[in-house]
Amino acid sequence: MSFFSIFKMTIPVLMGYIPLGMAFGLLLSKLLIPWYYAFFMSLFIFAGAGQFLVLALFASQATILEIGVAIFLLNLRHTFYGLSMLSTLKKFSWKKHYIIFGLTDETFALLKTNDVKEEERERVYLIITALNQSYWIVGSVIGAVLGNIVPFDYRGIEFSLTALFVVLSIDLYNKSRQHKPFLISIVIGFVGMLAFPSDKMLILSLSLAAVVLILFKKALEDG
Amino acid sequence: MDSSYIIAGIVIASVLTYVTRIIPFIFFRNKEPSATIKYIEWNMPVMIMVILVFYALKDVSWGVYPYGIAEMIGIVIAGSLHVKYKNALLSIFVATVTYMVLIQKVFINY
Repeated sequence: MSFFSIFKMTIPVLMGYIPLGMAFGLLLSKLLIPWYYAFFMSLFIFAGAGQFLVLALFASQATILEIGVAIFLLNLRHTFYGLSMLSTLKKFSWKKHYIIFGLTDETFALLKTNDVKEEERERVYLIITALNQSYWIVGSVIGAVLGNIVPFDYRGIEFSLTALFVVLSIDLYNKSRQHKPFLISIVIGFVGMLAFPSDKMLILSLSLAAVVLILFKKALEDG
Repeated sequence: MDSSYIIAGIVIASVLTYVTRIIPFIFFRNKEPSATIKYIEWNMPVMIMVILVFYALKDVSWGVYPYGIAEMIGIVIAGSLHVKYKNALLSIFVATVTYMVLIQKVFINY
């Protein structure tokens, strides 16, 4: 498969990652974080919603432990991606670690929806992952630099994070087989927002959600 | 913001993000994950995401003008556009621009 035809496969991700990366970079610059941290975050973390979440946690001066717990829980969904790629990636060389590292929602969707001949898979998957990450890095650096040099009233740009969470909630709701967890988490989130102390809201609500999910497994599955 | 704090945050986020992606390759190399683990993996993500929406709203002052109206409008726009067109960027972009206009030009004393 030629490089160009692999590139063509990644165009939908390109269209998504450049603007979303820019929104991330703008938000980062608004928090007065130097632009090169946008580069390092996109290079080392490489998780869309995860990086937005880290910014939100930076803004509220969360502890490092809280950042760790929150990002771990948020990205746990990636475990599921890995599960469904076990047999394919098992045959790859050590380079598979880069593909595993780069298994974002979008990369996973591309790898899963495109048919690639088995003998070409390792090379094609590596190139797809690297292209996707490069779009994300370029977008976020452009956003961070623009945020510093273009005089513009960026107040309210942080709402892109809220909107991203709304959009991902709807996507995951559509994909999930049960609807009760969705409704329960609305109740927990609402109560948490009003009743839990602001700085512990995330940890407390997520723990409560996990406990409810496990305790009421039977009732939830039957629905 | 303190640079050692930012660096520590980036390091922990990088390591733990990678951990979530490598877990299945370590634990389930030879066996199938249990039904409970599958159940949690299926259902936890949507719950986390919904809770994050409320988390993002936790500092809104609902009792004072403008009573979080801009946030509510933004969420309704993002949600309804996404249900209708299923285009994440469109939904996020329109909702964010609307929100920015609302807090900068409409609810000026915000």
